[in-house]
Amino acid sequence: MNKREAPQSPTAPLAPSAPRQDTVFAGLDAVASGIAVWDATQKLRYCNRHFRESFHHAISEIAQGLSYPHYLELVARSNELVLADQAGWIAEQESRFGSDGLEEQPLADGRIYQIQRRATDDGGMVTTVYDISLLKRGEKALVRAKELAEAADQTKSRFLRAANHDLRQPLATLKILIYNCMSEPDEEHRNDLFHAMDIAVSIMEDLLGALLQIGQLDAGKIVPRVTTFQLAQIFQRLDIQFRHQAQEKGLKLRIVDSRSSITSDKALLERILSNLVANAVRYTDVGRILIGCRRSGGQLRIEVRDTGRGIGPQYLERIFDEFYQVADGKRDKKRGLGLGLNIVKRIAGLLDHPISVRSTLGRGSLFAIEVPAGNVWHSDIGEPEISESIGGEFAGVSVLLIEDDEALRIATTELLERWGIVVHAIQEEAQARDLFERSAFDPKLIIADYSLREQHGTEVVRNICALLGREIPSIIVTADTDPLLIQRLKGEGFPVLIKPVNPPRLRVLMHNLLYEPQAASGIRN
Amino acid sequence: MTTQGDVIPIGSLVPLTGPSAADGAEFRNGVILASEEINRRGGILGRPLKPVFIDTCRQSAEEVVAAANRLIDEHKVHAIINGYNIGPQNSEYEPIADAGIIYIHNNTLLQHHDTIRSNPERYFGCFMADPADYWYGQGFIKFISWLRDTAQWKPENNRIAIISGSKPYSIVIANAMASAARQFGWEVVFGPKIVTTPTTSWRPVLAEARKTNPAVLANTHFYSGDLAQFQLQFMEDPFNSIVYLQYGAMHQSFVDQAGEKAKGIIVSTVIGLLRDEMGQAFARRYVERFGPGSTPQVGCQSYSSVHHYAVAASLAGGTAGPGEFEQNRELARYLKESVYRSVAGIMRYHPEWQSAIPYPDYVRDPSLGMPHLFYQIQDHEKEQALIAPEPYNTERFALPPWIK
Repeated sequence: MNKREAPQSPTAPLAPSAPRQDTVFAGLDAVASGIAVWDATQKLRYCNRHFRESFHHAISEIAQGLSYPHYLELVARSNELVLADQAGWIAEQESRFGSDGLEEQPLADGRIYQIQRRATDDGGMVTTVYDISLLKRGEKALVRAKELAEAADQTKSRFLRAANHDLRQPLATLKILIYNCMSEPDEEHRNDLFHAMDIAVSIMEDLLGALLQIGQLDAGKIVPRVTTFQLAQIFQRLDIQFRHQAQEKGLKLRIVDSRSSITSDKALLERILSNLVANAVRYTDVGRILIGCRRSGGQLRIEVRDTGRGIGPQYLERIFDEFYQVADGKRDKKRGLGLGLNIVKRIAGLLDHPISVRSTLGRGSLFAIEVPAGNVWHSDIGEPEISESIGGEFAGVSVLLIEDDEALRIATTELLERWGIVVHAIQEEAQARDLFERSAFDPKLIIADYSLREQHGTEVVRNICALLGREIPSIIVTADTDPLLIQRLKGEGFPVLIKPVNPPRLRVLMHNLLYEPQAASGIRN
Repeated sequence: MTTQGDVIPIGSLVPLTGPSAADGAEFRNGVILASEEINRRGGILGRPLKPVFIDTCRQSAEEVVAAANRLIDEHKVHAIINGYNIGPQNSEYEPIADAGIIYIHNNTLLQHHDTIRSNPERYFGCFMADPADYWYGQGFIKFISWLRDTAQWKPENNRIAIISGSKPYSIVIANAMASAARQFGWEVVFGPKIVTTPTTSWRPVLAEARKTNPAVLANTHFYSGDLAQFQLQFMEDPFNSIVYLQYGAMHQSFVDQAGEKAKGIIVSTVIGLLRDEMGQAFARRYVERFGPGSTPQVGCQSYSSVHHYAVAASLAGGTAGPGEFEQNRELARYLKESVYRSVAGIMRYHPEWQSAIPYPDYVRDPSLGMPHLFYQIQDHEKEQALIAPEPYNTERFALPPWIK
């Protein structure tokens, strides 16, 4: 308590207690803003509950009779407000007593109060305090959203202008080519024109595809799905994708095997790398392209190196901008769109993978991307789903199926293929002869229906074995349950299965015939 | 549904004679101990379990299917719960699916996935309580890559030689190893070479493998006696490879035969007893009940399945016998929906495969999958060292004595 006049007890009523007034004050207590009424002598004559609670640490001392300077001191000393200069703030506020004003005051806990002063007719003042934190947060978010929208709009306009330019180019070419084609009598020349048209169309196709990708990236529709996987999976796909193109240009494409696990979005990272490799192939005339990686701490640096035209140092800053292309005097028939590196930059930003480039004009470029190394235990295996076609005991085994009922032939083929078997399904012996003449198909097992239209399955099996000059383990299937027939077939040395074939029994029999022939001889039924 | 006080007959297809008799006895013990524990606590909703065992002998399709038929027709069992049977390759699913009862086994076969998927409605009650054999192959490749990448072992090269037994289980594991190898930087230079098993004659195939100078030698056959011979013959002229032997080398009989020459061997199991407090307490109870020669490491499989079944049955409101499809479907639903922490780790069935999900081979979170445990025999007179995966490992890998 200071030298100023002592206030009344905090529990003392702040206003007259007539019944009607009680109702009014109860109502004012329910208002979400703090309200305080000061008289001309700067004494507090009334404040509602919210006002007292607005200054939590000084709550016990805010009571009727409190002087305005004392109130300011209490509030300043409570440290609830963020004040750079407490004494200065008090002096400034004191000097403003009785004048209208509106201030925003940040609080130590991060909230923001809006404090409003209004002069009253009798020379006093009303202070209102309102917590505008939520409002402010929303306001900030709106401002941010607006800035982003404006930036996106600007980018889009710039982008569309550039896209418009690049799309008009092949369109104009196409128009001329079509016109020329219509009047071209020479077929060979016309074919050349068709080929040129094809290139123009594919440029437009690429451009639209790239625009779509960028549109999706801009709209935030591409959400990374980060997993841990083997980098070798992407390298294998790049090899398939680019080996042929590189060979066509006489370039050597070398991909150094990787055994590393990495943590990234597999599809997006592949898009980045395929853009980099596509550029390397496009801008390299002689020499080679080398793809590899090296470990550096917890990161793996994937590099795409080429012996191509290289990029001058003055252009390096801009190559990641959309539609930017280095002017090097050489014009390809199908030049790039200037979008690949922009897509690379956007995706790399999305994945938080730093990208770098080093280049020497006339000697080649090195693009590198850094990705986090993964824990090998967490590495997803290439296949999304385990199945017998990958690791089953019959994976890759070749089987000849002879069945003249189409529905059964299809169903059995599907079953066998699900087990990973390479099936050749035929209806009759002639097809088998034809198959062996034109292919190197080498069955490890034959499954034959007994009652074929022209022959018995047993006869076809014997003829095929004679044709190939070796015994092939075979299974006869039949719908005929005549015990004499089954006895006879078994006597001839054929394991028999009765239709409809029970898949587990077929599996057991096939396993035994292929891998444990001794066991097979014991279960021929 | 069974009424209050009625016993619940639980069938079990166990090889009590023949080549897998040692494991069969432990699978039987596991069912007995779990049933006794459950019955002491009042059974399933007040009804005691009554196990019924039928010997599946050599585990051929005929023997196992006949045994399943007897359990259903004569004993009216509500469920069949056991360890593995090697031979039938899912043929026993047919009578079980016809009866509409629950079947929980540890056949460890990839083909279980295919059978379930071919007709999930029909095979709603068939569950495989451990991950498929396939995961052995993939998990092993990750394991050796982990040893390499963490510099616990510096292989001379990236070459792998794979030898397989002739059972589907061995072939699937060998194929899975081969298919995963390249992605992790390994090159399969030998095999998968399928050797007709059982056999004790490994010298010819070892000589062939030796020529390829591999850094890793894996044999996916699983009979402990055959594997002991393999190791003894390997040690006649060892080469600088890590040697991995399939499940059978977990058995005491393997160490008994291979003796000191077993030191350094790597072996793994997709279902094994954990060495934590729960696992140790179970092991003590088990040995107390069945004697010092008993093997809780094997018995824990059927033991865990019976307990999980009891939990699911209680949630479902009871068990049901042959023909009572509706109640058993409800029970099957709870088996799939309830994650059970067994003494062998988490039992969580994949909703489509209806088999246990493996950690870390399939899920990264140990609370969501059954641990694929890797052991090394470091002292043939002591328990194997459990060297992976975290957080279950208790020891570290040591370079095998034959590697120079």
